[in-house]
Amino acid sequence: MIVSWNWLKQYVPLTMPVEELQRRLMMAGLNHEGTEEVGGDLAIDLEVTSNRPDCLGHLGIAREVSVLWGSTLTIPPAQPPEGKTPVDELVKVRVDCPDLCYRYTARVIRGVKIGPSPSWMVRRLDTLGITAVNNVVDISNYVLMECGQPLHTFDFARLGGREIIVRRPQPGEAIEAIDHKTYPLGPDTCVIADARDPVAIGGVMGGAQTEISEKTTDVLIEAADFDPISIRNTARTLNLHSDSSYRFERRVDTENLDWASRRCCELILELAGGELAAGVVDVGSSAARREPIVLRLAQLKRVLGIEVPPQRVREILVALGNEEIRQDRETIEVRPPSWRRDLGREIDLVEEVARIHGYDEIPEDVGVPMVPSARRREDRVVEKARQVLTAVGFDEAVTSSMVEERMAGVFSPWTDAAPLRSLTAALRGADRLRTSLVPSLLMARRANEALANVEIELFEIARVYLPRKKLPDEQPMLCLTSGRDYLAVRGVIEGVVASLCPAVRLEATDGGLELLDPAQSCKLLLDGELLGYVGRLTDAGLGQFELRAPATVAEVKLSLLFRAAQLVPRHVPQPPYPALTRDLNLVVDEAIRFADVAATVQANCGKFFEDLAYIDTYRDPQRLGPGKKSLLLSITLRSKDGTMTNQQADELRDQIVAACGAQHGAELR
Amino acid sequence: MPLPEFLAELDALAQQAVAAFEAAGDAEALEAARVQFLGAKSGQLKAVQKGLGKIGKADKPAAGKQFNETKKRIEAAQAAAVERLARGAGPSEETTGFDPTVPGIRPRLGRLHPITQTIEELKDIMGRLGFSVAEGPEVEDQWHNFEALNIPAAHPARDPLDNFYLATAEKTAAVPSRKAWLLRSQTSTVQIRVMEQTSPPVRIISLGRVYRPDTADATHYPMFHQIEGLLVDHHVTMADLKSVLRLFARSFFEDDVHIRFRPSFFPFTEPSVEVDMSWQGGWIEIAGAGMVDPDVLRAVGYDPEQVTGFAFGVGIERICMGRHGIDDIREFYKNDVRFLRQF
Repeated sequence: MIVSWNWLKQYVPLTMPVEELQRRLMMAGLNHEGTEEVGGDLAIDLEVTSNRPDCLGHLGIAREVSVLWGSTLTIPPAQPPEGKTPVDELVKVRVDCPDLCYRYTARVIRGVKIGPSPSWMVRRLDTLGITAVNNVVDISNYVLMECGQPLHTFDFARLGGREIIVRRPQPGEAIEAIDHKTYPLGPDTCVIADARDPVAIGGVMGGAQTEISEKTTDVLIEAADFDPISIRNTARTLNLHSDSSYRFERRVDTENLDWASRRCCELILELAGGELAAGVVDVGSSAARREPIVLRLAQLKRVLGIEVPPQRVREILVALGNEEIRQDRETIEVRPPSWRRDLGREIDLVEEVARIHGYDEIPEDVGVPMVPSARRREDRVVEKARQVLTAVGFDEAVTSSMVEERMAGVFSPWTDAAPLRSLTAALRGADRLRTSLVPSLLMARRANEALANVEIELFEIARVYLPRKKLPDEQPMLCLTSGRDYLAVRGVIEGVVASLCPAVRLEATDGGLELLDPAQSCKLLLDGELLGYVGRLTDAGLGQFELRAPATVAEVKLSLLFRAAQLVPRHVPQPPYPALTRDLNLVVDEAIRFADVAATVQANCGKFFEDLAYIDTYRDPQRLGPGKKSLLLSITLRSKDGTMTNQQADELRDQIVAACGAQHGAELR
Repeated sequence: MPLPEFLAELDALAQQAVAAFEAAGDAEALEAARVQFLGAKSGQLKAVQKGLGKIGKADKPAAGKQFNETKKRIEAAQAAAVERLARGAGPSEETTGFDPTVPGIRPRLGRLHPITQTIEELKDIMGRLGFSVAEGPEVEDQWHNFEALNIPAAHPARDPLDNFYLATAEKTAAVPSRKAWLLRSQTSTVQIRVMEQTSPPVRIISLGRVYRPDTADATHYPMFHQIEGLLVDHHVTMADLKSVLRLFARSFFEDDVHIRFRPSFFPFTEPSVEVDMSWQGGWIEIAGAGMVDPDVLRAVGYDPEQVTGFAFGVGIERICMGRHGIDDIREFYKNDVRFLRQF
């Protein structure tokens, strides 16, 4: 809302510097956006919150000033002289849609002379950035900006049947508006029509047919109260946002319609002449009388933490326009004014007292009691995972939760259901709630490749949205994308798991996921439950994401780690004797799996087992024979009871080799 | 084995070993000589020692003595070689080909996203002030995102164009029904869920992703992060709110700042304020806040006559941008590793 300094002065004394005015209005709830000098006047831009439509006119702002400075507010009486002809002999008004138009008033002035407005009015409108048109149109704009009530003036002679019908449009109906564009009218638009056609889109824009022109002599002045939702929808659908629709969307003061109408007529008579028909056509209901509100003075201290003297409370509420009904030592009862729909409850009055009394009165150094707070298990697990991942060189990414349909379908290992869809797209058609983080991270990878960034090692911890009957299953996932090979990325996941729950069984099975190389991918199982998968992208997978360089991905369900994590590890005493290592080079059939061999090895180490490391797999048909491979492992052995001898270790090794031979057909190479 | 043969073997070994140690020109050759002659497992001296056992009993003392002398001689030759090489490795010779400006081999350390770093710091500070973390779903029903927060059906904040409503299975129409879910537009939804499930007192921060269909530009992105604090108890006042926010600001900005409230409007708080912090001679806005609206307390089954509460919300991107001098919110979501590796 832009306020003219000179104009504001008409209603309230402005004895303070403009900076002081801006500051105090800001501290009372009208944020100062900026001030510009316009032709000797000041245009002060104030931000008005949506609960305060009463401040969308100069009078409303002037009232705030008068309350803050304790000065007198002067409101023009608006008592235009009336002629003899009763207005209801000239025009009929019918409201067919009281749900869209709560109240409609009309006055008629005949014999006006259309011409330019006087310079004082032109200047005031100019300060607000409104271009003058002619005296009658300017006056309706002026009164709008004076009191916040939008008005519309019709060329009365061009109103078919001398009739106003407020109704819904007929199917297919359209209107040519004053911008000379034709607008189709949707079913819930509130239309102002004459006996035949729409003549205005109620509360939004007038029609070209009844527009005030140089030839206009008779004017109908409309002051109405329209349904805010209908206005908002119409303005949005037609993309016609105006000062009028803005105010109707926030509700006007129904009780002020008549004042605004009289004020408009008063100015037309003064500046354009003519004769005002007697009375007003007033259709619809006036607002119900406001219910009184009781403010218990003790509530001020209870909510604000400070005492406000009862006399001050009373002063503030009355100055704001509340009608005082009763006051005793503990309470004050008031009836809020019609223009303050936001005041309906005790707490609303507490806020009014607080903002006028001043929030600076509230101290900023009271002692707030201490209470303990514990970190959640989930947060501690995620923190640990992040520590491991950054330590091994991964940078954290944050990508959007919504992806394009195409990307959503590419890769979805956690659900077969179609992803949830938003009615509105977030970015470039991204309207699907992702069911995997992999596509998002691969797109981030592509963006980095496009910048010729070399090391693209990214992880993200975020949710995926798995559809179900209820609100979706929002599963937190850890996802990686890397230029490292399959085993290296798998090792990173194993490292994360080991740092959180070293004692829990982590196994792998065949991957079998689309876009991942079957010979370089696996599913990981934590204690038998699907934890996630790791794999190298196939060429087709790379192609899907237009990636040039090889890429490996992994995605892991964090809820399993939240459950399994051992956040406070238990100490296990370590024997004070040296360890011995033995390497094993076992030739087995291709079909034999490492995990099975490893299990046999470990079982045969018995109590001496400390560690088993996989070193390599070696294949050479000529030396090993076709269909054979050689597994190279290294075992670490240690005794709890004393220094292990080489002889003991060798015996154990022989025993292991024998067992592997018996169970897996392995031979020592 | 006869004694003379054993002694001859010792002599030959000593000569060979001394020659080898004297000839060793570098550390590698020295080590090779050591392994060959003095190696613990298969050194030649070790091998000769085994012969000692086969000497007749009468000759044993002489053989033993000679063996010990030979061992000393070889060890002395080794020591001399070590010393010679160490001396020879004086500065002039060793620094040839050494360039101290060649950098170390640095492990690649990853970085946490600046949003995460900011969130973690905020969580840490609020944790010290006794606020525990709470999370809730990002896909919400309209009760938690609107109604319980005092945002009735006709409220403009519920406009389909201002929210990410989800399509429902049975309905593909563009207009969302009252039952339609949506991506939460604020983290206050979590406060409602916590209060629905917990009796007062409640002292939590809720944080996470929130969604509004803004066109992406330097200061807007359709997804961003919020952190909200909530304290509900007997006797909670706006003075407590101001004091907690000041403690928070002093911790986060590491300066003795002051807090200012300006009136504002949020449906779920009454009174509602914008929170400013004194900064470099002026004021900067850091949060929106207020006292939990009695209707919100009622909606979750609390008695507003018994308890009061305050709530505040901070936009994480904004605070993070200010802190690191990032001037475009879109930088956060490009995930350019050159951007990420600055933090």
